[in-house]
Amino acid sequence: MDKVQASKIVETTSPLAFAGVRNRIATIAGNTFREAVRDRVLYNLVLFVLILTGAAVFIGEISGGQERKIIVDLGLSAMLLFGVFIAIFVGVGLVYKEIERRTVYAIFSKPVGRSEFLIGKYLGLCLTLLVNVAVMGAGVSLALIYVSHGWDQLVLTIWPAILLIYVELMLLTGVALLFSSFSSPALSALLTFFVFIIGHFSADLKSLSGSMGSVAARWLFASLYYLLPNLANLSFITPAAHGQLPDPSRVAVVVLYTLVYIMITIAMAAMIFSRRNFK
Amino acid sequence: MNYIASSRERWLMLIVIVGLVSVAGLSRWLDTHRPPTGTKIAEEQLYLNGATARRISLAFNGLAADWYWMRALQYVGGKIMTVPPSVPIDSLGQLNLKLLAPLLDTATTLDPQFMEPYEYAAVVLPDVDLQQAILITKKGIAANPLAWRLYQHLGFIYWQQKDFQAAGEAYAQGAKLPGAPVWMEAMKAKMAVEGGSRELAREIYGRMYEQAEDDQVKNMARLRLMNLASLNDRDALLKMLSVFRAKTGRCPSTWKETEPLLRALNMNTDSTGAPLDPGGTPYVLVVAKCDLNLDRNSKVPRK
Repeated sequence: MDKVQASKIVETTSPLAFAGVRNRIATIAGNTFREAVRDRVLYNLVLFVLILTGAAVFIGEISGGQERKIIVDLGLSAMLLFGVFIAIFVGVGLVYKEIERRTVYAIFSKPVGRSEFLIGKYLGLCLTLLVNVAVMGAGVSLALIYVSHGWDQLVLTIWPAILLIYVELMLLTGVALLFSSFSSPALSALLTFFVFIIGHFSADLKSLSGSMGSVAARWLFASLYYLLPNLANLSFITPAAHGQLPDPSRVAVVVLYTLVYIMITIAMAAMIFSRRNFK
Repeated sequence: MNYIASSRERWLMLIVIVGLVSVAGLSRWLDTHRPPTGTKIAEEQLYLNGATARRISLAFNGLAADWYWMRALQYVGGKIMTVPPSVPIDSLGQLNLKLLAPLLDTATTLDPQFMEPYEYAAVVLPDVDLQQAILITKKGIAANPLAWRLYQHLGFIYWQQKDFQAAGEAYAQGAKLPGAPVWMEAMKAKMAVEGGSRELAREIYGRMYEQAEDDQVKNMARLRLMNLASLNDRDALLKMLSVFRAKTGRCPSTWKETEPLLRALNMNTDSTGAPLDPGGTPYVLVVAKCDLNLDRNSKVPRK
């Protein structure tokens, strides 16, 4: 290792350099969040509140006494669905918009690394989703209190399921970012949506790999099963509607699995993005 | 800043409003002039079976289960409009509820822990499709092996079919589960000794009334309890009428004549002295036959 290389390593790993990286990422993330708010992304909350209010008021008449379960199912499903749309449609535009508007040149003329830019963008959208999910969670809790005419244990027990929904949205944002780093927004949105669907069909991929006659097909489906994110692991809406709590150790492992996956997607996106030529 | 709409914008606004009113009117016309749907189409089997619906519902299987559950309620509700309110929901066999079993089966496949469809299947379905009622309840037991109430439902289905041995076994199995009430254990012995008795029926419907969460099931249990109470009333009143005839050599022409005997029975009466059924409607005296009957407007079910 020559002296120049060694000095570069020292520069990037020193506490001062790390604080600089953190500040730059935080600034980009903050701007991304502000941009999402300016783009009225959080307006979906209005629609969510309308759906939930309507359900809370009218569902009692047609649910045969199952208002609480239906409010949780409806609220958490809407939270996931709205979140998926935001993660996909905002996520695929995160990088593309900057390139299209040519603001990326202004950003990279400053001492900002491409990876820092990507991570900042990613965290900014995650923050938007966090606000979205937290407000929606509070909305579901209030609707539950309304239909139960008072305190309801479900108000607390739904939050682990909400955490898992948020983790799923974080993962999808990473996937959207990865696709958008090398393809058009429309194609990225489509591919991310496919990952969402296939991710919930993981069990079928596994059973397909087990039932296939050909060894090549077995390997193919088994590889797909292990390569693609298994989103069914993050699905806890239905048990949450019955007041069940997930096993904490399982939640920890699932969150770890998803974080590793997110790390992979961002690393891949950064790799592809660093090789892109903006000229 | 005040915004003043230009005349062009006012015209456009008018077109939008008139357009909306017109489409609402046209839609109404189309609804009222819609040709009646053939029963074959209306009762067409569901496109998706439960397993397929579960697979394609992604993470939304709970919501899809709620949808099928509400569809099942609407389906029964739509048909029930044609029968009098005093007909309990466990006697709806004549309504040809062909879609009820697949709807409940799909709801419980989508969300196997959703208990209300099982309760509904145990109460409403036996009169429509007994085998499906048993299958759905057993499927529920397999998915929720610790839910003693599912054994109560299974026992109820067998008891209705007068299979007292199977009913007793179902209650006994349920009694072994944690949290099962003490009376579940006693049910096995009662089934063996007094399977077809009115007293046991009263206990079964009484327990169902206490435990049921679904309003329709609760109401059914209430109607059944009223029917059982009325059967006891009628037995006592018939005995009283035969005592009257033995004493006087004729049948009473009005309830008033039987007042002292009625008082001994400790029954509620109205201002004319007629005894009231458990729904609060006076019994009708059939003078010619020295018999009595429920009033046409009685809330007590006839069977």
